[in-house]
Amino acid sequence: MNLQYNGQEQIPADPDTVWAFVNDPDKVGHCLPEVIEVTVHDPRHFDALVRVGVGPVRGKFRMKFELQPDEAARRINMKISGGGLGSAIDLTAGSDVVPAPQGGGTLLNWSGEAVMRGPVAAVGGRVLDAQAKKLIEQTFANVRTRLS
Amino acid sequence: MTIEATTERHSLGHRMKRKEDPRFLQGQGRYVEDIMLPGMLHAAIVRSPYAHATLRNIDTAEALKVPGVVAVITGKDLEAAGLGWLPTFHGLDKQMVLAIGKVLFQYQEVAAVFAESRAAALDGAEAVEVEYDALPVVADPFTAKQDEVILRPDREKKTNHIYHWEVGDRDATAKALEGSATRVKQRIWFQRCHPAPLEPCGCVAHFDTMGRLHFYVTSQAPHVYRTALALVTGIPEDKIHVISPDIGGGFGNKVPVYPGYVCAVVGALKLGRPVKWIESRTENLTSTGFARDYHMDVELGADGDGRLTALRVSTAADHGAFDAAADPTKYPAGMFGVVTGSYDVPVAHAEVDAYFTNKAPGGIAYRCSFRVTEASYAIERAMDILADEVGMDPVELRRKNFIRKEQFPYKSVLGFTYDSGDYHKTLDKALEQIGYQDLLKEQAEKRARGELTGIGFSTFTEVVGAGPSKHFDILGIKMFDSAEIRIHPTGAGIVRAGTKSQGQGHETTWAQIVAEELGLDPQNIMVEEGDTDTAPYGLGTYASRSTPVAGAAIATAARRIREKAKKIAAHLLEVGEGDVEWTDYRFQVKGVPAKSVTMKEIAFAAYTNPGPNEPGLEATNYYDPPNMTFPYGTYIAVVDVDRETGEVKVRRFLAVDDCGTVINPLIVEGQIHGGLTEGFAIAFMQEIQYDREGNNLNTNFTDYLIPTSLETPHWETGNTVTPSPHHPIGAKGVGESPNVGSPAAFVNAVVDALSPLGVRHLEMPLTRDKVWRAIREAEKR
Repeated sequence: MNLQYNGQEQIPADPDTVWAFVNDPDKVGHCLPEVIEVTVHDPRHFDALVRVGVGPVRGKFRMKFELQPDEAARRINMKISGGGLGSAIDLTAGSDVVPAPQGGGTLLNWSGEAVMRGPVAAVGGRVLDAQAKKLIEQTFANVRTRLS
Repeated sequence: MTIEATTERHSLGHRMKRKEDPRFLQGQGRYVEDIMLPGMLHAAIVRSPYAHATLRNIDTAEALKVPGVVAVITGKDLEAAGLGWLPTFHGLDKQMVLAIGKVLFQYQEVAAVFAESRAAALDGAEAVEVEYDALPVVADPFTAKQDEVILRPDREKKTNHIYHWEVGDRDATAKALEGSATRVKQRIWFQRCHPAPLEPCGCVAHFDTMGRLHFYVTSQAPHVYRTALALVTGIPEDKIHVISPDIGGGFGNKVPVYPGYVCAVVGALKLGRPVKWIESRTENLTSTGFARDYHMDVELGADGDGRLTALRVSTAADHGAFDAAADPTKYPAGMFGVVTGSYDVPVAHAEVDAYFTNKAPGGIAYRCSFRVTEASYAIERAMDILADEVGMDPVELRRKNFIRKEQFPYKSVLGFTYDSGDYHKTLDKALEQIGYQDLLKEQAEKRARGELTGIGFSTFTEVVGAGPSKHFDILGIKMFDSAEIRIHPTGAGIVRAGTKSQGQGHETTWAQIVAEELGLDPQNIMVEEGDTDTAPYGLGTYASRSTPVAGAAIATAARRIREKAKKIAAHLLEVGEGDVEWTDYRFQVKGVPAKSVTMKEIAFAAYTNPGPNEPGLEATNYYDPPNMTFPYGTYIAVVDVDRETGEVKVRRFLAVDDCGTVINPLIVEGQIHGGLTEGFAIAFMQEIQYDREGNNLNTNFTDYLIPTSLETPHWETGNTVTPSPHHPIGAKGVGESPNVGSPAAFVNAVVDALSPLGVRHLEMPLTRDKVWRAIREAEKR
């Protein structure tokens, strides 16, 4: 099952601060909703153990994260893969980190694509779509809270 | 000692209550899950979330740390032991037991975990870490046909194409179609569905101290399992004891040998302890034998009077990742050649091309005799489309083209010899019973008010009872079946057969056949099946073959007992054998009714006073059927469709079946009720869907529906009796007719309801949203 998302998030902090934040694996890792544990391997790679509850699929997913920043374009891309409970998830996400045109601070223009496999995919459009959207929004909300 | 004459001798045709039911109704059935052995371990299987991926690494370290976990095995371990692959049902392909190198379908078996409890085994399975590299997924046969991604590099032929099968005259059919006054063509898909028996598959493997394997398993064919296990593992066949205890429904799903069984046997051997493996509902729906998945291009031609001129069917079959279709070895597309149905088709051609896809393997018969349901659905649907094209009542089109009763035995152009039938009689009986003229009148009135109401017919013919040894085998083993009967001194007895009941009522039916042949009380004829140490070798129960094949073996063995009994009767009556005759369920001196002996008296004498005869009273028969049997029927569905919501209400459904001689009408009606309920589910609810990534989207009973009593319509039944001329008691088998015949009746009724809007065909399952969309789209036109 293929899911696509995009949106915008305004952060009340200057772009340099936000850029440094999203390039810090430990900080980004702890913004994930329901995160249990973050293990940083190097400035580009970290693992996160997160609690997941999608319909009947409930338990812990182990996810591997790779940060792929493009300094010149001020764009941060992320490759995420992992899973648990017999399910597998592959995600690619990216965001421009640019000054907000209005109201000050920084605008994150983000988009992402997820491929779900296993029982989590069988849960299907009924709950998965809304759940995934909620998780992404929660992640950005956490970024905002930490930088406010 | 006096022996009373039996009171219920005449047994055939009696509505005898099922002997097995008190046991089942009181929860006293004994299933594989009930088997508990000392020191028994439990197995759980790690499955792939990917439909197609390279297997990079399996890390079992964490799993082995889980409390209670004893061992984990992977494909590499099995490959090292020479057990990496398992031959599929017909032996034409092999299947990975546990993934080796790559995975080919979602939920494929990747590793097996053995633990002290089922919970520990499941926790262990969750802790096994598997790394995959995703590969492109092929999720349908048409993409597979392009050969852009080759799924099975292990095979010699580097293509996704598995086989091409055809029958009939291609050129003559093309010519006849070209010359026809009317031609119709329709792509008809019989969707992938799953038999979903309420008891999923499972087994217990146990090696005793002498090294003998006792294998308790949910198998519809225990003897075939024993031989397959001997061939695959190299264990001598005398050291293998297969026991099929009570089975909670099979419907073809419990015919193949599954990887979990092999893992349990390997685990028991390696660990020296019994191993139980019971799959979950999700595992049953996602990895064991599915049914159907035939994409059929059907073409019918007719002359100006609506008489059929030709039939052509071209099929793409989706077999999944391994060719594990359960069909006789020489018949890769099963009995699909019966696609000419009940009609006198002058020329025809049928072909099937099968492909590998990244979906679960299978292609088993879901309560059907090897692809008969697909064939029956295709022709019955096409007949309605043709009727619409030529503007004829579908009943009249069928009547005009029926094989006439004087044409039997009828040789079809696609190679079957239909044994017997009177299609017109059965149709007329059904029309009268349902009140067809009144229904037509009512439909006209409803249509005048703008209501959507439909009447759908299916006048199907099945081919069952595989089968004659010159054509039918599985892995070379001929498709005979067998019976052994022993009559005890007091006139009670035991029947053992090579078949295996999964709810069909053999304990009653087999006793009734013996009782009828020997004049004994069926209540005191015990039936035993499923234990390979005691039952004679048989090919098992599926494809409606039990009554046509094993039923014939039982009747034949009983007649052998009667021949011997005649000699003992002559001794007791002190006359020559030639002066004794079997009359009114006893032997009497010809023309002297007062001088007679009952079978009960003869049984006692067989052990106490056999005279010059060998003591004892028993017989065995291995029955090789001379032909298949051809049960048939007329099914009529009446539906109302809600124009606003797309909801279909099956207002009436009548099934008039002809299965030849009826042994027990109560059991036959029960079989028909059950099969119609499954046919209803297929027509309106059931489909195993996959998305483009090969995710199975129907993995449990909230997404794959089983009708309850609330949804199930009221079934009306009737019958005619046209005995099979070659079966010892004239019986044809009935278990599958309702599943084979009913889907077309339901769909034909819904399409008839929507025909005023110009709808001519809809694909199953006819869910509300699909019907609603069809109405909305038709209204736009």
